[in-house]
Amino acid sequence: MSEKASLPTCSSCNRPIMPSEKAVKFECVKCGQVLIWRCEMCRTFSRKYKCANCGLIGP
Amino acid sequence: MSRRKSDEEKDEIGSEKFIVPELTEKALLATGIRVGTIVKTKDMESFIGRTRPDGLHIIDLEKIISRVDIVGGFIARSDIKRTVVCSAREYGKTPVEMFCSLTGAIPMVGRFMPGTFTNPLFLKHIDPELVIITDPVMDAQAIDEASKAGVPVIAICDTDNVTSNVDFIIPGNNRGRRALAAIFWLLTRSVLVHLGALSPNQQLKNSIEDFETKVLEEGVK
Repeated sequence: MSEKASLPTCSSCNRPIMPSEKAVKFECVKCGQVLIWRCEMCRTFSRKYKCANCGLIGP
Repeated sequence: MSRRKSDEEKDEIGSEKFIVPELTEKALLATGIRVGTIVKTKDMESFIGRTRPDGLHIIDLEKIISRVDIVGGFIARSDIKRTVVCSAREYGKTPVEMFCSLTGAIPMVGRFMPGTFTNPLFLKHIDPELVIITDPVMDAQAIDEASKAGVPVIAICDTDNVTSNVDFIIPGNNRGRRALAAIFWLLTRSVLVHLGALSPNQQLKNSIEDFETKVLEEGVK
């Protein structure tokens, strides 16, 4: 009956992001082809993320 | 030793190389776009090129220009009518208004009313797709609400800013009147080029001076 829910993972820490988290998602600022997810903690601590397509390192 | 000193002086003044068709590197450096503060945060360490003998940290100009261009493309790809540009700083008022009038974004200057992004019952509630911040310290309320609403935040950050809840940084001097005008002028140009409204070799009809907040002298009415 029930299906397994797939959670998005954070682009910085690779942990699954819970629906209740104040996370953000956006397409890569440079290439616009990869969807980048940032969890609440990674945003707070300004942890770096990297685009898998173009290699852009943010923030 | 003297060669090194002359190289430093040349670096300080800038060359006559054109960054965009109507702007040389020398003219851009004269706005003070890369002059930081004496405070350096860990978040901004990677954007600092060197430190002057008087202690001021200088931001790498190449990184400023490349990041402004990247952000220009990002804004052009997103829904520009749902892009909010915030500035609580007085010197950011005219640059933000000019940027928004030329691109179609939503300006939010002066005090940011709490609940603008988070309270749907508020009459002036906005549901933004992207938020651009002039100073993370002055616009802390906007950053806080954007993070609660799950909206990406792009911020112009100086060397002393903490980039908490900021998703993409534009390094630059966010205190100077002319520096803010230069950053928003470059950003406007980049957005218009990416939108196709302006060709890369075409000149923007507005100059950096048009983006500057005018200072009224005392006694002059």
